Amino acid sequence: MGNIMSVSFAPECTPAKQEYDDCFNKWYTEKFLKGKSIQNECTEFWDNYITCINANLAKEGIKPMLDKAREDEPFSHEEIKKDLKE
Amino acid sequence: MKLFQTEHSFNYPWDQVTAANWQKYPNELSTHVISVDILDRTINNQGILRTERLIGCKQSIPRWLSFLVGGATVSYVREISEVDLKNQTLVMKSMNLTMNNLLLVKETIIYKPDPELNLQSTLFKQSAEITAFASVSRICDKVEEWSVERFSQNARTGKLAFENVLNRLNDKWEDAGVVKDSLLLNEVKKLQF
Repeated sequence: MGNIMSVSFAPECTPAKQEYDDCFNKWYTEKFLKGKSIQNECTEFWDNYITCINANLAKEGIKPMLDKAREDEPFSHEEIKKDLKE
Repeated sequence: MKLFQTEHSFNYPWDQVTAANWQKYPNELSTHVISVDILDRTINNQGILRTERLIGCKQSIPRWLSFLVGGATVSYVREISEVDLKNQTLVMKSMNLTMNNLLLVKETIIYKPDPELNLQSTLFKQSAEITAFASVSRICDKVEEWSVERFSQNARTGKLAFENVLNRLNDKWEDAGVVKDSLLLNEVKKLQF
């Protein structure tokens, strides 16, 4: 049952991403969905991964368009609640 | 602006569908999705899991359109999702970051238990707003038409691809005993066989 996993936009972040994803997917199915944990337990993998991502978002020039989208369309919690009511 | 809407029911319980959603890519059909990254993930005081992702896409575009938008090869999409375990909803909202001054695609997807099928299936609702900006409105129309067509093609492929992913993961979870105690799943099986 080979685990095919998605890769990062930045190849150098893929190993850290896959470690994090593995941890998250396990936590999600075994704890979160069962209501056993409301705390994300994968922080040690997360820190590695997000440090790598943040460096590459800047390097690849993605950061400015990302920040603009966050401002233009925040997709806030309130907006999502509205979608559910429609 | 053009609107695209579709609905579908997946023959799996909601919790399993949401778990598979995180592992949807890569799959053999959605080859246009080339990367998936998580940018932020939080759980609020109501237990709602909110995730921000960056999705990288590569898709061939017709020559008349590539002349308009330049030869960009990879485009990026920002997606926000919220999983509400208590109310059993998963909402995903996204928009493209690349070339959105020319073509803006805003998409909303909702997954929730299908009330008509005794909650053993999951209802999938997808809607997208597609807007092309250009000075000549006829070009806009053509770009929008092409985009809607491509969007609905991708939506059809995406449905099939996700069915395959659900199947594969279900086998894996069964082997690992993850879904053994899922009453819902057993009910679904009784219906299927």
